[in-house]
Amino acid sequence: MTVRWSAADRRRPTPGDLLVALLVAAAAVALLLGLGQEGGNFLTASVVLDGETIAQYDLAALTGPVTLEVEGAAYPLTIQAEPGRIRIAESSCPGQDCVHTGWASRAGQQIICLPNRLVISLEGRVSNEVDAVTS
Amino acid sequence: MTTSLRRLTRCAVLTALALALSVAEGLVPLTILFPLPGLRLGLANLVTVYALCRLSGREALLILVARCLLGNLLGGNLMALAFSLTGGLLALGVMALLLRVSVLSLFGVSIGGAAAHNTGQILAAMAVLGGRAPLVYLPPLLLCSLVTGAVTGGVSMLLVHRVPALGDIKS
Repeated sequence: MTVRWSAADRRRPTPGDLLVALLVAAAAVALLLGLGQEGGNFLTASVVLDGETIAQYDLAALTGPVTLEVEGAAYPLTIQAEPGRIRIAESSCPGQDCVHTGWASRAGQQIICLPNRLVISLEGRVSNEVDAVTS
Repeated sequence: MTTSLRRLTRCAVLTALALALSVAEGLVPLTILFPLPGLRLGLANLVTVYALCRLSGREALLILVARCLLGNLLGGNLMALAFSLTGGLLALGVMALLLRVSVLSLFGVSIGGAAAHNTGQILAAMAVLGGRAPLVYLPPLLLCSLVTGAVTGGVSMLLVHRVPALGDIKS
């Protein structure tokens, strides 16, 4: 005999549903705050392929566009860095999620190409110490 | 038809339906509109909800595992399999629990399931990449799961009420 759950038999949303939605939203906000995306004038992008850092760019110090061809990856891809931002311009991976992510320009942002196990992470230092370090 | 044969047939049809839904969903990826890795509507989850409500937890699990295996056999790889399995299993577990909570409707159950699915995927991604980098994608994915969960919740409510339960079919 089929078991009929009470939740399955309802035809209208209940206040309980709202509670679930609020809990999910609260978890999202808590995570967002917990991860804390700090900004800063120093923006470094590290390209990590399969656990190894293969390149690092100081995005704030770049003067012109730089491209990096990652041929050693399972699905070769092209990374493009410009002053202040970086993206995966082209990739031969099946999902193309990494290309669709577009430009990353803030500290704490990540571009991930899972099929390649490649992560580009942006790190920034808060630059409120600039006044102290004027020498 | 005997009951067990009828159940087997229904499981097979539901597995095929889940596969077809996953493929159909892949043809119109939400990620084009909103670039967020792992974002999907989760139509195949409808089948899981239906199976949980109208068949049993065991059969829902069988359908889920068969769908993931077959789906990745058709057009995926081992890593994609790990992703769909962790996400799917976590969603199945959470929805099976939420279905027992009497104050919820299928909306709440689906939202919980969608959020669990995303969490599972991110956990799998963290395991694959060996770091907490993918965690950055979780908050926006959770917020999106509110919408996708509500949509699939509404559809699953229709599905569960319109498609008759196993015992009601006259063969």
